[in-house]
Amino acid sequence: MDVSAQLETQSSKYKPITVEKPISLEFDLGLLAGYDTNTLDDQKLKSKNIDEYLKEYTRDGAQLLINELFKLPVSVEDAGVFAQLPDVTTVLPREKPIPKAKPLTRWEKFAKVKGIQKRKKDKLIYDDEKGEWVPRWGYKGSNDDGANDWLIPVSNNDDPYEDLFAKRREGKKQRIEKNNSRHQRNLEEAATQQNKNTTTNPRIVATPNQRSVRKAELNKQVAISKLATASIGKFDKPLEGEPKMKGVKRKFEPTIADFKKEKESNLSILKRVVGQGSKSDGGILNAIANTKNNK
Amino acid sequence: MLKTIKPKTARSARALKKREPKIQENQKTAIFLRGHKTNNIINTALSDLCALKKPDAITFSKKNEILPFEDDTSLEFFSQKNDASLFVIGNHTKKRPQNLIFVRMFDGQVLDMIEVGVVNAKSIADFKTPKCAVGMKPCFIFNGDLFETSEIHKKFKNMLLDLFRGQTVKSINLSGIEHVISVTAGSQKDGGDPSTGIVYFRAYSIQMKKSGQRIPRVELEEMGPSFDFRFRRTKFAKEDVYRAATRVPKELKPKKIKNIDVNEIGDRVGRIHLGKQDLSQLQTRKMKGLKKRTINEIDAMDIDEIDKEDEGEEIFPNKKQKV
Repeated sequence: MDVSAQLETQSSKYKPITVEKPISLEFDLGLLAGYDTNTLDDQKLKSKNIDEYLKEYTRDGAQLLINELFKLPVSVEDAGVFAQLPDVTTVLPREKPIPKAKPLTRWEKFAKVKGIQKRKKDKLIYDDEKGEWVPRWGYKGSNDDGANDWLIPVSNNDDPYEDLFAKRREGKKQRIEKNNSRHQRNLEEAATQQNKNTTTNPRIVATPNQRSVRKAELNKQVAISKLATASIGKFDKPLEGEPKMKGVKRKFEPTIADFKKEKESNLSILKRVVGQGSKSDGGILNAIANTKNNK
Repeated sequence: MLKTIKPKTARSARALKKREPKIQENQKTAIFLRGHKTNNIINTALSDLCALKKPDAITFSKKNEILPFEDDTSLEFFSQKNDASLFVIGNHTKKRPQNLIFVRMFDGQVLDMIEVGVVNAKSIADFKTPKCAVGMKPCFIFNGDLFETSEIHKKFKNMLLDLFRGQTVKSINLSGIEHVISVTAGSQKDGGDPSTGIVYFRAYSIQMKKSGQRIPRVELEEMGPSFDFRFRRTKFAKEDVYRAATRVPKELKPKKIKNIDVNEIGDRVGRIHLGKQDLSQLQTRKMKGLKKRTINEIDAMDIDEIDKEDEGEEIFPNKKQKV
């Protein structure tokens, strides 16, 4: 028997997997999507058998898509045959903006300049005195600064009447405080840095957050508020750590003085208020008359 | 705008960290909302679309006074509260009966919105056929050239792909391809007004039959839901915002490999740079006459010798010589 005849009988047992389309489909296999740009039959879309038509039409598209998917390189695993999908080509928008690089802390900046690499340290270290492994830091850690010592030898340089236990405790407290303040400073600087990079969200308004900026702003406002009293804040209750105002002095003219000067100063005020840039007294009076008429 | 929360416990800090922007993003969660008034068709439509989107879907079954085209602040609230960036809102009014609004967010703000009216609808329950399992990645088939030419169709295609795409995966189990979402664009009237054309949304389950070959024969069975949509209002993102939303992080861009290309046939072609060849060291045919000599040596030579060389006695160099 002829082989081709055998093949034919074999293939006629099954329905075909090939589909003929005038324009071949575009695929985005990463999304398992197929885009068919062939023109549809408008008559069939409007007829009653539209569901049948759509099903047949989609079947052809789906067959082509499955054909493409089965052509992809596969790997056989326990759960089944897995096709390796290519990257998604259709451009889909993100949900959130691309994360910005975290601002470096002062130490990180320094370490970068100096080329200092981070080293992984063991959590436990061997304590020679105790003869056992203790944590590097934390509870029962090796850096407890001798907090459990029952005796501290007083060296010749130490003040014999000083409480060395209290001194140690105080020292540790201060170190912690210093570290906290540095941490705070890093956070503030990071916040300023991030506010500089404007977001796409207009509701988040960029505000200067840096300590120095805020401090200057506050000092300025305090200075302005001082001008509110006649004595320029001389008799106000001082705030804690308030800087002394500089360059603000108030002079009072003597009650009886040169009449000409007083007249001049008053006229200049009038000029400023009324404006017009008039030169003579008559001009000013005219201006006043004008404003009266306008009313 | 919600107040920014400062985590008090490590657990809440972890939860907040999960919500931060990432280079490789997680799946987008969709919220299915009801407007101030809905009818039965819209309610079932919402629950059916939710069933297709599950497990990354949140349904809210109470009514909400939301009109996204008029005021989108409540959407921003919902988005931030639930860490979701996709919305499907259904409502039913006299002016716009059986309304579905597809909304997409970027950076906590509305990116684009497409409003469609449901002309015909059949729910999943109306089809007594086998359904696909929850969380399966669907196939998509978009039929009609309008999805390439019409702006609103393009956006709607993009929106649906975004909504139902599921997890981003490197590989897929070939026997796990269970259903296909088919969207077909019906023709518009001559003016090209998109509200005149109908978009047919269908979902089919796939049956793979034997074909006598490795690739199976595909047969479809409608599993629902089935909708006929008609476009209504739209609101698309400004170009700069859309560009910001579609930016690809540097880390995800494929690294360009220098000097290796793939040509049209698909062969890998490499280019090799050898540097400049030093021709002064080039070994040419060795002849006594071409030998480097100082002037003194030439003077010392016999005239006969020079004559011999000129006659070409040593044209063929000794084989023992280094070549």
